[in-house]
Amino acid sequence: MTMIRRHSAPAVFMHWCNACCWLLLTFTGFALLANPEMQPVGRWWSDLWHELFGGLGLLRLHIFAGLFWLAAYIVYILARCKADVLPFLREILAVRPAADLRWCGLKALWLTIGPRGMRRLGLSGELPPQGFYNAGQRLVALIAVVCGVMLALTGLVLLFLSGASASASALRWCLLLHFCSAGVMAVLIPVHIYMAALAPGEGPALRSMLTGMVPLAHAREHNPLWARRLEAEERRS
Amino acid sequence: MPRYAMIIDASRCIDCKACLLACRQRNNVPQGYSRNWVHPFPDAAAPLGLHFQPGACMHCDDAPCVRACPTRATYKAADGSVRIDLARCAACGGCIEACPYNARYRHPQTGLPDKCDYCAGTPDMSPACVQVCPMRCRAFGDLDSPGSPAAVALAAGNPVQRVRPADNDTRPTLAYVNGTAPLDWPQSRPRPLPLEAMSWVAGAVTVLGGVSLAGCAAVLLKNRLAPPTENDTVSRGDRHDHD
Repeated sequence: MTMIRRHSAPAVFMHWCNACCWLLLTFTGFALLANPEMQPVGRWWSDLWHELFGGLGLLRLHIFAGLFWLAAYIVYILARCKADVLPFLREILAVRPAADLRWCGLKALWLTIGPRGMRRLGLSGELPPQGFYNAGQRLVALIAVVCGVMLALTGLVLLFLSGASASASALRWCLLLHFCSAGVMAVLIPVHIYMAALAPGEGPALRSMLTGMVPLAHAREHNPLWARRLEAEERRS
Repeated sequence: MPRYAMIIDASRCIDCKACLLACRQRNNVPQGYSRNWVHPFPDAAAPLGLHFQPGACMHCDDAPCVRACPTRATYKAADGSVRIDLARCAACGGCIEACPYNARYRHPQTGLPDKCDYCAGTPDMSPACVQVCPMRCRAFGDLDSPGSPAAVALAAGNPVQRVRPADNDTRPTLAYVNGTAPLDWPQSRPRPLPLEAMSWVAGAVTVLGGVSLAGCAAVLLKNRLAPPTENDTVSRGDRHDHD
């Protein structure tokens, strides 16, 4: 079986670093919202984490995890800007509106009414061929980038300007934006985990997030535009 | 567990402001700020034409400041007082904005809220305002302890009144005896918009996050019980990819 490289080793490391930090930050961040009216999980969640770490300990854990996540990303972006970061941004910003809308619509139908339901509606379910990322992945990645930047900026304001140096009103808006960004990601993360790791046929994609390699046949089926581009580049060289 | 409260006989107040000075001194309140007050109100029947109404945080049972705080840094303690846990405070100032009594101020150095805590820093002493009042306007103690000054003041049989916004019963625990007026000067204030919006966002995250988790779990279960056939996942050569 011919294997091709899909992710560099630093990208694989950053993915799992990001996953661990994001889960810990979401769990502790939601737990910090101890007001029952602003608590998205339930009062038990906040009580549990406060019992484990105490109020100050929980806040310190959240801040430590947030600063570690940000520092890791800054180092990664500086070290891998040309090799990983810019190509990633180019990929997720490569919007093809008609094909992407068609892909998202058909995919949503396929997930909700299933292939048999689509056949009953007379829809073939044929998806537009996709590149390195499919339209859904690009949409989620774009949202993750925007939310990540928002979380980092508002988090830094809340951490370093929460004394008298920022107005209370600005801090309240930062709190809201921080929470909104975390909330969006909290809704998307379970979908990402299911579709990338648990959905049928995703074994090679999940393994590629551990080894960085993916079977060429899998790439031809799932990411035909990317596979064709790779093959064309290989022929040229 | 004690049930602390402050009882004030406003008819005795002569506006000497000793309570304000003593509080500032004991609690290191910065210049220009105060944890308590004496409000003068016109009163034609009074010798000076004014009625003085001393006050401080009302330690409400249904406190708007507690409802405004996202982290429960401001909370209603079991002893009846409304307390601030500064370690949990995000300094968002929502509690200050939400208090209809203006009982809180933002500390100019720390940016954190401060207000009357019954002089919690000196737990073996009565609150400074109570100790220093030459007219014995203020009484403080455990309402469940019959001999406490607060319980005695309430048991004297004088009419008990509470100051609260006309449209929002905050259920203040601070009570006035022997008559005071007006009783409805505090103005209800809405929770600041970003904090109000946080409760809407929390509701949306609960619903959408629940749908997201339940949906994924349902599809996962369905796939485990009835695995999709090759015909279901492949369509004219383009496989349904996932994100």
